[in-house]
Amino acid sequence: MSINKYAYEAIKAVVGEANITDDPADCMGYRSGPGGYESGTGYERVMTRLPGAICMPRTTKDVQEIVKICARYDLAFVPYSTGFYGPRSHPHLDDELIIDMKRMRDFEIDAEHFFITVQPGVVYSQIQQECFEHGAYVVVGGGGAQTSAVANLLNDGWSPLSFRVGLPQRRILGLEMVMPDGEIVKFGSLADSDDPFWGEGIGPDLRGILRGYTGLLGCLGICTKMAIKTLPFQPVVPEMQGVSPDTSLKLPEKRVKWINFTMPSLKSIEDAHIMLGNAEVGGAITKVPTFWRAIAKASCKEEFWDLWLKETEESVANFFLVRVMIIGFTSEEQFDYDYNVLTDIITELGGKERRTKPSDESWFKNADSAGMWLMTGSYVSVDYVMDSFDQAFKQGPNYRDLKDKYTPPLMPDCKDLGWFQSCEMGHLGYYEYLIYWDQREDTNGMDQFYVDSAKMNVRNGAYPALLSSHQPLYLTGPAYGPNYHNWILGLKKIFDPKWLSHPPLPLAHDEFCRRAAWMHDIADWPVPDEFPYPDSLKKKMAAAHGDI
Amino acid sequence: MSVIDKNHTDRYDTPEEPFALDINDLGNFRYDMQHCIKCKGCYWVDHTYMPGVHHSVRCPSNLWKEFDSYCAAGKMRIGLGMLDGKVEWSDHLLEIIYACTLCGACDVGCKRNLDLEVDLTLEAMRVRAVKEGAGPLPVHKDIIKKIEKTGNCYGASADRNGWMDADVNPAEKADIIYFVGCSSSYVNQSVPKAITKVLQSADVPYMLMKDETCCGNIPFSVGDLDTAKKIAEANIAKVKESGARVLMTGCAECYRMWKVDYPKLLGIRTDELGFEVKHFIEVADEALAEGKLKLTEPVNRRITYHDSCNVSKTCDPWEPYEGKRGWMGCIEPRLDRRRGKSGLYDQSRELINAVPGIDFAEMPRKKENALCCGGGRGAKQAFPEMAENAARDRIEEVKFVGAGTVVSACPWCLSNFSETAARDGEKIDVLDIAELLAMAVK
Ligand SMILES: Cc1cc2nc3c(=O)[nH]c(=O)nc-3n(C[C@H](O)[C@@H](O)[C@@H](O)COP(=O)(O)OP(=O)(O)OC[C@H]3O[C@@H](n4cnc5c(N)ncnc54)[C@H](O)[C@@H]3O)c2cc1C
Ligand code: SF4
Ligand code: SF4
Repeated sequence: MSINKYAYEAIKAVVGEANITDDPADCMGYRSGPGGYESGTGYERVMTRLPGAICMPRTTKDVQEIVKICARYDLAFVPYSTGFYGPRSHPHLDDELIIDMKRMRDFEIDAEHFFITVQPGVVYSQIQQECFEHGAYVVVGGGGAQTSAVANLLNDGWSPLSFRVGLPQRRILGLEMVMPDGEIVKFGSLADSDDPFWGEGIGPDLRGILRGYTGLLGCLGICTKMAIKTLPFQPVVPEMQGVSPDTSLKLPEKRVKWINFTMPSLKSIEDAHIMLGNAEVGGAITKVPTFWRAIAKASCKEEFWDLWLKETEESVANFFLVRVMIIGFTSEEQFDYDYNVLTDIITELGGKERRTKPSDESWFKNADSAGMWLMTGSYVSVDYVMDSFDQAFKQGPNYRDLKDKYTPPLMPDCKDLGWFQSCEMGHLGYYEYLIYWDQREDTNGMDQFYVDSAKMNVRNGAYPALLSSHQPLYLTGPAYGPNYHNWILGLKKIFDPKWLSHPPLPLAHDEFCRRAAWMHDIADWPVPDEFPYPDSLKKKMAAAHGDI
Repeated sequence: MSVIDKNHTDRYDTPEEPFALDINDLGNFRYDMQHCIKCKGCYWVDHTYMPGVHHSVRCPSNLWKEFDSYCAAGKMRIGLGMLDGKVEWSDHLLEIIYACTLCGACDVGCKRNLDLEVDLTLEAMRVRAVKEGAGPLPVHKDIIKKIEKTGNCYGASADRNGWMDADVNPAEKADIIYFVGCSSSYVNQSVPKAITKVLQSADVPYMLMKDETCCGNIPFSVGDLDTAKKIAEANIAKVKESGARVLMTGCAECYRMWKVDYPKLLGIRTDELGFEVKHFIEVADEALAEGKLKLTEPVNRRITYHDSCNVSKTCDPWEPYEGKRGWMGCIEPRLDRRRGKSGLYDQSRELINAVPGIDFAEMPRKKENALCCGGGRGAKQAFPEMAENAARDRIEEVKFVGAGTVVSACPWCLSNFSETAARDGEKIDVLDIAELLAMAVK
């Protein structure tokens, strides 16, 4: 398998011989899975293919030329920053080109105006350290500090650190995109100057075609540069401590502190989220899945299960813990003030402070999200959404009940309620539901649960994050738009008429549902007989996946 | 009722799979290869220790060629492809497999969060290459022949004890037997001279091995287990014959061979060798703690320390393992996984900081996050550009912290750094830790 040889030679002339390959071993090295996000799922097995070639551009101009060559040779491509995001970051057709962005690692910091400008090869932990050294911090996506900041913000971008500036869109400032036809489009103030400070810029805010609540997973061009908002922190650089696997950031005692509180009830946890926001103090407040505590304590997979199997539905239902971070942004006095406000709130709600390590193991700079896979080997988040508190609190019980039907193959979690937290200084809630399984099981149930959860949200009128590119577009589009599927497909037609940018997204999950027999019963929403692909894509789909 | 019972155990049908930590069969690591999550903890420095946008990579192989296939994440996928007959042997595949120093950085990085056996998988891929007649590379075969013919990996016919001068006074009988190694015997003779000087100044008796030969590092590392096993058996017999309680090396590669890979080859635990394996820095550090080693002469330099891989992330003791994997991937019996916690990090720093006059600077990538110099495990012999590239990157880091001297605990690092610095016209000094200590004793 390989891409068109003329296209290969033309791309080689752009990136240099050392930065393109179609060697079968290299292509195998880029395969999707079988471990990782959505590992072993039907989606991955049915939809992903080995790449035909991989190239590594260095500059925006390189990317532009590569994309133009792809357009000339009708060559499908997928942008790939670190490739951590599972099958969704990998080719879905035979002989596709992976455009690996890792050599694009320019980084600039404007400490005075609190923003950075990065290319997609830069990951969060790098940025965070640079920010710390300038008294700032960046909101690292919960997926971990090992992800590309650009890719994360294009698609997701939430974290417990979203308490202050939550909406990812608001942290994306000026940026540069190479559209699927090779045209460079600059967003925000970059459109008419070299200063990327404004995300909005003049005219309509183009960020709307970049992402809605979630992003388009690379199916509408390639972001080559992004300015990202950073937030004021405090002056002391957290100290790195310990030897692997016991490494953490030592937090400056009088300026940053995580505190765990035991609370009397679920309601009191919910109230704490709202009240802390109202009081406008703190850096984060969150209630995480109970089994994460067991992951944090366990030194290996087996120990995790030793700990977790001691739990019961009752013990989990009666375990109320809220985790809060306070930051002395301006002074130690302000830190003390925040601490006092926080303890007043907690005391009023009947909570008690527990001893908490004076360190950060996860959210600031770490990549311990990899530990998600410790328990079962396979994982995906089926929902993450910023919504009203009211809605965010309701999602836990909804998911818990639906999940019961799919356990097994999903992991026994004692009916845990998932993860919620407060964003935008208490103006928004956040809800995330994560599922785990062993990919060596029959995983059809996992595939079904994924889509069933979207159907549940449609039924309940809940606004889920995983719309468009992550879920079947013909399910979510009519239900939420009623026409947003038409809007996305219309954009696709205008900007990517040949469907070369990561096809068949945004219809990949629709394709999966019609190609996987075990999805047929659950896929009961109307879909057109033919998907609106250009003929060239229809042929490629048939070649890669067979006729429908 | 347990959670599993409540959740219908009978409906989970997880297979039970037997496996062993045995690199003779790549199939033992199928689960590990299938569960690599592409987080690239094997490529980046531990994110907690991430120093910023520079000096952020820990894999010398992927630093050299940036395609994912050169980092452990890619190699795990390729290994699975090998197992399933989906990749064919080619020169390029051999480059991917062998242009890697088996430095262990990926293994500790991965085991920061997960339980996957990365290092063993990489070793097993090489063993498979040899078994299928594709490996090792011609240059490795040549080295193996030289070892068989001359007992050293250079094929040198000179006396292995040629480094000994009149000042070297080994005991006839001692608890410690000093295994000098090929590099120190032939190329970096200043190292054994310094080691023996330091030991003698601290009154630590040592003996030398009669008819010492190569430790077998390169045959083992390139996957020729038969040759390596023969060497291991012969060498172990010599130590037993000597009656020594401690086998001491001054070379990190030899250290790992004796401590980890000999037991691995023989299917025994490290503590079943019948003697202890120590690196010189452990012996010197103990002498320092006991007040026997007196470092009195000032060495007025700004120096930094490079943690050689095989006295840091790869040297946890070995324990053979056979068991079964079942429910959610849990294994039985339990296994204390080797996460690279036994690194000799404190010993080396205690020694360096005990030298008067030293202005010590840590590099951003330190301890288990140190970037391999690129010189070990037969990789440099086959891919000198990869080795130079790694050394060059590390030398940049030495300069970044303003040090004029870089110290390590392995003659292979010494060679690779010095050769690269000389080639690039870099004005830095490269020293073995023994040489530094030797400057500080009277
Ligand atoms: C365990 C886990 C937990 C997670 N939890 C969270 C969370 O709490 N919060 C959160 O925000 N996210 C979360 N995520 C999502 C995740 O972090 C992604 O946002 C992140 O992985 C994307 O970065 P990447 O480097 O992995 O991107 P990649 O895998 O390289 O790409 C991701 C997608 O973006 C496209 N893409 C990549 N680069 C570009 C580019 N330059 N231009 C256009 N498209 C591009 C790709 O084609 C692909 O579709 C989680 C993921 C995992 C696996
Ligand atoms: S650290 Fe481990 S799991 Fe992560 S990519 Fe590397 S080998 Fe795979
Ligand atoms: S052993 Fe070292 S060189 Fe080889 S893949 Fe792992 S980190 Fe890279």
